Amino acid sequence: MAITQTTTRAGISRDTLVKWAPLLVLLVLCAFFAVMEPRFLSTRNFARILIAATPTLMVAIGVTFIIIMGSIDLSMEGAVSVCAVAFAYCFLWLGGTLASWAWLAIPFAMLVGAVLGFVNGLIHVKLKIPSFMASLAMGFVGTGLAMVMTGGDRIRIEDELFRALLTERIFGFPLMVYVAGLFLLIAWFIQTRTTLGRNFYAVGGGEDLAVASGLNVARVRIMGFTLAGVFFAVGALLAVGRIGIAETATGNNFMFLSITAVVVGGTALWGGIGGVWNTLVGVLIVFVIGNGMVVIGLPGYVQDAVLGLLVILAVILSTDRKSISFVK
Amino acid sequence: MSEFIKDFIEKEKINRRNFLFASAYGLGGAAALGALGPTMARAALTDPTIAWSYRNRTNPYWNEIVSGGEAFVQSLGMSKDALTHLINEGSSEKSLADVKAILAKTGGNLALAIDTNDAPNARPVVEAVAEAGAYVSTLWNKTDDLHPWDFGDNYVSHMSWSDEGPAEQTARILLDAMGGKGGVVHLGGIASNNPAIERLNGLKNALKDYPDVALLAAEPADWDTQKANQVMSAFLTRYGDEITGVHCANDTIAYGVLEALRAEGIEGMPIVSYDGNPQAVQLVSERKILATVFTNPHWGGGITAALAYHAAIGSFKPSEEPNEHREFYGPTIMVQPEDALEFKANYLDSVPTYDWNDFWGPSNGPITYK
Repeated sequence: MAITQTTTRAGISRDTLVKWAPLLVLLVLCAFFAVMEPRFLSTRNFARILIAATPTLMVAIGVTFIIIMGSIDLSMEGAVSVCAVAFAYCFLWLGGTLASWAWLAIPFAMLVGAVLGFVNGLIHVKLKIPSFMASLAMGFVGTGLAMVMTGGDRIRIEDELFRALLTERIFGFPLMVYVAGLFLLIAWFIQTRTTLGRNFYAVGGGEDLAVASGLNVARVRIMGFTLAGVFFAVGALLAVGRIGIAETATGNNFMFLSITAVVVGGTALWGGIGGVWNTLVGVLIVFVIGNGMVVIGLPGYVQDAVLGLLVILAVILSTDRKSISFVK
Repeated sequence: MSEFIKDFIEKEKINRRNFLFASAYGLGGAAALGALGPTMARAALTDPTIAWSYRNRTNPYWNEIVSGGEAFVQSLGMSKDALTHLINEGSSEKSLADVKAILAKTGGNLALAIDTNDAPNARPVVEAVAEAGAYVSTLWNKTDDLHPWDFGDNYVSHMSWSDEGPAEQTARILLDAMGGKGGVVHLGGIASNNPAIERLNGLKNALKDYPDVALLAAEPADWDTQKANQVMSAFLTRYGDEITGVHCANDTIAYGVLEALRAEGIEGMPIVSYDGNPQAVQLVSERKILATVFTNPHWGGGITAALAYHAAIGSFKPSEEPNEHREFYGPTIMVQPEDALEFKANYLDSVPTYDWNDFWGPSNGPITYK
């Protein structure tokens, strides 16, 4: 009897813990901050956290697909900058308000993101350059390109209709939160209901097997990077919607935040494990910490240290290290 | 027109006049020297390469600095591409390596303007330049024990800004606008940056005279609009209506703060910032920001290159100049709603054509050490 109980408990703790640990961490963090400062729990504060988190959520979802394949995409900072600047120029050129043809700037920006991602994937697959290097380099190219386009200037988007993303609220949350929610559902649909989504897991779970079963891995990879590019573009649009400025610096910090969020959410860096819901939880953890630290009055530099510790904790929790023979 | 700008323009006029006298005198002197025959013992450089070494152009501040460098090069009748850009991307090692590389390439025929990225890096850079017989002027970073006059003519000058005084003035404008009571939050630059420390000190100095105002919190926002946006949102959660004024370490931070307030539908919160970027000046004219401080980075970037160049070609001899011409503070102009539009028309919409031979005119006195 005692023995059975122990095995059951052990069984639950391994699988369940891996699956639910990130959510548990999120809840514990929320409870902690709420005890320290009750105002943390207000709807207005959650709206603030979500406003801050939505652009990063989009970028992190994009990179989640790549990480599920066992690759990595570090081009987000450049991609976000280019998409933001391209959107802003196109938007102003076409009339500068959503009520005119300028709404075309939104699909245009997503197209720009797709093209950047496509080129990124092509370089990685066709030139056989590790995704880490190829995408990092593409990111620098993107930052440089945004710099050339703007000449270092910042472009303001003043259109009230576009800024309604931030200023219009439904049930206390601004529109950009609902837009991000919609794209989260789209990502979830791609992940679970499309061949492409399942192929990401096939490639990440065991590339040799996928190739042996006749899967065109090169094509899946290029499509993955293209899809990630589209999500980077959506992130860029929300970032511009949030502060009304498009500039080369729009992409700053997205790399650290999104990769941290994906890993903390429980998606394993070697591929095949995790998904967009993990990423949602991961992004929330990162931004709850950012918000909560200020709300309870802890100095800012402690935040980075706490995030770093959480990354290590997340990797320990989310992987069965006994089954790995060596670590590179 | 505010006192600051009136003073500034008055000072400029006098300086220009002095400069005209001085240059007439100088030309006469040069002619006399030429007539008397013997050339100077140490030949000045002819047609040196002009280079600017800085962080990168993504930052609007450094973009302004370098545009000044380009304007100077154009004033010499060259295309602006004649200015060599050495971009260190925030790495002191790269900064030094770039300088050594260009010294080797030009054989020391170089006039260099540089921000060495951090203070300790200034010494190796200056020593390398002096050894190669080239000329260097530094901006912002150097250690207190490093002085141009210890290197003869080759270390031409150092310019920096003291932000504590101007930041205190903006703070007083803010605290007055708050009616001398309530709570203020400060959003700062990267915590270890000198200007970030000085600007917070400015606020603290001003607060001593306003006992009814509480400094609720001071958090670094890393000079970043998006970070500032997040920090301000969190401040609103923590302090809510207790916040009645915001002191920002620079303009890019103020943009993030304004958007965080806009998201909450808060209007008319008193805010002051620093740097005098065009967009901020526009916001000052609309009274969305109450004051910002313009440090004229365009002039700073141009004059730093001009000093190195003119010392290199022998237009003046640095070692014969007084110390306050070799270590000095850059200009600061306070911009407030009443004069923002006029200021914008004069300085930002059309960048004034500066006299790049007026090396010390707009500067702000010798650097003092604490």
